[in-house]
Amino acid sequence: MPHQVPWLIWLSPMFSFIIISLILRPFFNHHPKLSGYTTIAAIGISCFLSFWVLIEVLKAPGHRLEIPDIQWVVIEDGISIHLGLIVDALTAVMLIVVSVVSLLIQIYSQGYMHGDPGYPRYYAFMSLFTGFMLGLVMADNLVFLFLFWEGVGLCSYLLIGFWFHRPAAANAAKKAFIVTRLGDFGFLAAILFLFYHTGTFDIERLHSLAIAGTLAGTTLTWAALGIFSGAAGKSAQFPLHTWLPDAMEGPTPVSALIHAATMVAAGVFLVARFFPLFEHSKVALTIVAVIGAFTAIFAASMGLVMNDIKRVVAYSTISQLGYMMLGLGVSGVAVGIFHLFNHAFFKALLFLGAGSVNHATGTFDIREMGGLRRVMPWTYITFIIAALSLAGIYPLSGFWSKDEILIYSFKTQPFLFTLALITVFMTAFYIFRVVFVVFGGEYRGTKLAHHSEHKLHESPAVMVIPMVILAFFSAVSGWLNLTGNFGEFLGHGEARGLLEGFFGILGKPLPWLSLIVAGLGIYLAYAMYSTRRISPEAVGRTFVPLYTTLSRKYWFDELYERIFVGKTLVNGLFVGLEAFDTYAVDGSVNGIADKTIATGRALSRVQTGQLQLYGLFIAMGIVAITICFYFFG
Amino acid sequence: MSLKLELLTPELSLLIFALLVILLDLGIKQKKVLAGVSILGLLVSGGFVLTLWGRESASAFNGMFLVDPFALFFKLLFLIAAGLVILASQDYVSKFARFQGEYYALILISAIGMMLLATTGELISIYIALELSSISLYILTGFLKDPKSSEAGLKYLLLGAVASATLLYGMALVFGLTGKTRLTEIAQAIQTIPLTTLLDSPALLLGIILLACGFGFKIACVPFQMWVPDVYEGAPTPITAYLSVASKAAGFAVIARFFYTTFGVPDWLSLNWGILFASLSAITMTLGNVIAIAQTNIKRMLGYSSIAQAGYLMVGLAAVGVASMADTLGRSGLLFFLASYTLTNLGAFIAIIAISNKIDSDLIDDYTGMGSRAPLLALGLTLCLISLIGLPPTAGLIAKIYIFNAGVHYGLLWLVVIGVINSCISAYYYLGVVKVMWLGAPVSEEKVPSSWALRIVLALTCLGVLVLGIIPGKFVQIAETAVRIFTS
Amino acid sequence: MLTDYGYVGLFLIIAILFAVSMPLLPLTLSLLGLVPKKPNPIKTSTYECGVETIGKTWVQFNFRYYFYALLFVVFDILIVFLFPWATKLKQLGAGAFVAVLAFLLILMVGYIYAWMKRVLEWK
Repeated sequence: MPHQVPWLIWLSPMFSFIIISLILRPFFNHHPKLSGYTTIAAIGISCFLSFWVLIEVLKAPGHRLEIPDIQWVVIEDGISIHLGLIVDALTAVMLIVVSVVSLLIQIYSQGYMHGDPGYPRYYAFMSLFTGFMLGLVMADNLVFLFLFWEGVGLCSYLLIGFWFHRPAAANAAKKAFIVTRLGDFGFLAAILFLFYHTGTFDIERLHSLAIAGTLAGTTLTWAALGIFSGAAGKSAQFPLHTWLPDAMEGPTPVSALIHAATMVAAGVFLVARFFPLFEHSKVALTIVAVIGAFTAIFAASMGLVMNDIKRVVAYSTISQLGYMMLGLGVSGVAVGIFHLFNHAFFKALLFLGAGSVNHATGTFDIREMGGLRRVMPWTYITFIIAALSLAGIYPLSGFWSKDEILIYSFKTQPFLFTLALITVFMTAFYIFRVVFVVFGGEYRGTKLAHHSEHKLHESPAVMVIPMVILAFFSAVSGWLNLTGNFGEFLGHGEARGLLEGFFGILGKPLPWLSLIVAGLGIYLAYAMYSTRRISPEAVGRTFVPLYTTLSRKYWFDELYERIFVGKTLVNGLFVGLEAFDTYAVDGSVNGIADKTIATGRALSRVQTGQLQLYGLFIAMGIVAITICFYFFG
Repeated sequence: MSLKLELLTPELSLLIFALLVILLDLGIKQKKVLAGVSILGLLVSGGFVLTLWGRESASAFNGMFLVDPFALFFKLLFLIAAGLVILASQDYVSKFARFQGEYYALILISAIGMMLLATTGELISIYIALELSSISLYILTGFLKDPKSSEAGLKYLLLGAVASATLLYGMALVFGLTGKTRLTEIAQAIQTIPLTTLLDSPALLLGIILLACGFGFKIACVPFQMWVPDVYEGAPTPITAYLSVASKAAGFAVIARFFYTTFGVPDWLSLNWGILFASLSAITMTLGNVIAIAQTNIKRMLGYSSIAQAGYLMVGLAAVGVASMADTLGRSGLLFFLASYTLTNLGAFIAIIAISNKIDSDLIDDYTGMGSRAPLLALGLTLCLISLIGLPPTAGLIAKIYIFNAGVHYGLLWLVVIGVINSCISAYYYLGVVKVMWLGAPVSEEKVPSSWALRIVLALTCLGVLVLGIIPGKFVQIAETAVRIFTS
Repeated sequence: MLTDYGYVGLFLIIAILFAVSMPLLPLTLSLLGLVPKKPNPIKTSTYECGVETIGKTWVQFNFRYYFYALLFVVFDILIVFLFPWATKLKQLGAGAFVAVLAFLLILMVGYIYAWMKRVLEWK
């Protein structure tokens, strides 16, 4: 394989971004379709190359390829910056996830974003995002990793605020940017801290230092925690989770790509990438597991009561990301990433399904839907597959990875296992609540989308086909690990026979336990929202405080508002400086210049103006410097 | 005594062309020709600079006139800046009823002044070169003859005079102490003075402070930055661009040479002015950035931004001082930063010239929706602003890494931390403009046309910004060669 | 070193004392009544080199005075530079000749410029 191939994978969408923004948008704005095709072609190339890389990595000894560095800046006996890529098993898996999901979503978007005035802008940002994301998973040093990291954050900001004329979208974008920035602050601190202690930004070098034990003790723990704080911000882990549900203000394909399958998973990826560091710090690893398990149950509980279909799925995403963190925390890279891999497909599919429903009904409120199984059969079937996969029903993909996480947490942290098991129940309940309310019963909607005033209808083929493909992946992607191959590929796991893997798991008690719990959740949802044997209103009335707490999201938004009230302080500072500028600096210009009638009079005017003040400042400055140096120099 | 005229060819040729422009202006009706002649002059002069490049360092007029890679690097920088400014001025100048020829001639003359400033190694010629460039700039600042421009010109002149006086006091003190005017001789004289005497006598330190203050006016560092916003706002926009890059670069050139050659030894002395620049740097960048946030006028904002950039540049100076004789790192960071800053800031100003000329406003609010009204200009401006923040893939990033690396290397970590925090602050107001341009709804659907000259110049600068940002290797080498003179 | 500064300081003190006491002296004398107060028009008029004042002090001069003054200074200095060169013309040789020629040329351009811009006409 030529060495340029991995470079091309992330550069190709970048070129697409450049072409769209520099050529297509200024000159061919009346042919918006072109930008969609460009993006799809570019990501198609990335996708193809990613498979190529995967095959090469599978063949390579130790499952990693050596890509020669590119010397970027070399400063004599100072810094030298090399550009390099890590291409190992983790990278290969992430490349496949990102490029495949992105490709399918770009195709889907052609239908969803049809006729939107910002169509080229949308595709430009999507290309840019995909480029950054692909670069992120390959970056071999912390500086570039961080740049790509911020790049995807920027794209997320731009795309959440895509419909920036809606105040909610603009605010959500801002919130997402600020909250994730809080986490990134820790990440940046960790990068600088690591550099300070080791003198290197190179990730693999840091790995070897951690493995060799040079980097150890509290230093390692603090660094790992700093990295985890960045990961927690990006992956919306407690307590930085508040931005993700609001981020649903963006277009639905954006939610599917960025806020379900890829960018939010970047946090999990980051922990996986630095796993050797976490592995050698028991404290950090435990914190990852605890935060993950807590986030899982915490977010799932809020998902129980949301009425916005996308928000339910968003809380589900947070919860599942918590699962992945738990998986990383209790066992290792393979388990967490395996769930990330499966989750990317079924969660993207859930979002696309939500988008499809929205395309037909013009709303995201599940109370305004109902009975859609008849008019939207494809959406219905694919949504069911994704929901079953999410709930972890045998033999769909979610079952396999979730079960691994449960098994490992049972072995190491029984308490976290209990939390995870309750989450299984909640997950099954909330997602099937959505299924029954949206697709079951009769249509309750009052308003229809403007472009389908005549009749509810199934989405166009360009949207349905990607969903069907994703449904296929959601069903079978979990089988990759039947023989333990996937785990072994990521350096973790034992070999099994194919059939032994497929059926053997049913011979163990733990999977049955989780299946029963999930089944109970589905049954409860069925009883409450389909047959209505149990009245959901009655339940809501019985547990009023609980219901309120959940639907107000534990008042976290209010809490954070309070904290940021502190920003009045900051604002105060700016007001002061502005006043200084207006009255001291600006005032002189306006006061003098505006009143000046004749040019020749400028001299006299200036002399009565503030020039003396300037001169005074210079004089005072000189005196101050001299005094400082005389006494302290 | 041989004159070694070949060493003076860049300045002499440029002078001849400046005189030619003045003479032609008297007889010629088609004023566009003058711009052509000026550009030709700059090209010829640039050609001479290139022929001198790579030769042994040499000097003429008893060491008053030094031709070394350092000087040549700056000469090229000034020539490029002057060329771009002249090209960018085309639209602007064609509106003048009178004095078009003088405009070009003055730009050329101030360029000569700056070139001399970078190339002299002697107190009196430094002062004369400084005045030559400054006086031309005073006139150019007041060129529009409207109230704001005149006021700006006058303020610049008066405050410039104060700075000149300060500088002269400093020079007088240094001369009084050493009895020499040539920088190398002053350095030798200082080295013969025993350290205890130096420690006892505040005269030399006072001289250094006064010199730093006099030059500080030129580079607009705190507390000598008061003139910047007013002058930048009032001056014709191309001249503002010229002031913000070439004039500032000249200031840095002379400071680097002056302080390094003269006060580089003993270490105690070097450390002193290193700390002086370090503390001024911290204050300068913070003040510049913080006040820039509150600005509503884009020229004023860039004015404060250029103050902040001067602060970053002074990190390099401080590193040179603190490092004393160590090696070339700090200075080469300085040169690269200056090259990158010159291109970037010029690009930003060219875009602003193009836009403001048509919409007749410098208010940031009026740039709303420029992304759809003038996509190419907005794109160029965006790129330059990104470079000013120091984000990839632009020259600004490399420059900042480079200069901050020098800072860290010589134990100025605290300063670099302040610098990094400042970069983050600056992102706020730079990106504010970007946001307004691309995400704001356009005030009107009307496109903003721009002339080909401006587009080409903007494209050139943007290309430069990208090239320096993406493949900086070669240019880093050049910058390193350019400072090697000091080490030998 | 310090004693040198001491002399300067002493000098400074004396200078300040002198400057302050000189205006104070007549004032004190008049306050003490030692000086008779007998004003008349000639005595109170503004003193201007003995010539009687005509009109206001704040008058605008014709700006051409400045042009003339500037040109005069420029060419005055030209002569100052030319004299020493002329006396040593032979010893200095061709290089100096060329240099002075260039110097003259630059000034000549300025002269032509002033001429063509009608600075030399008095209208």
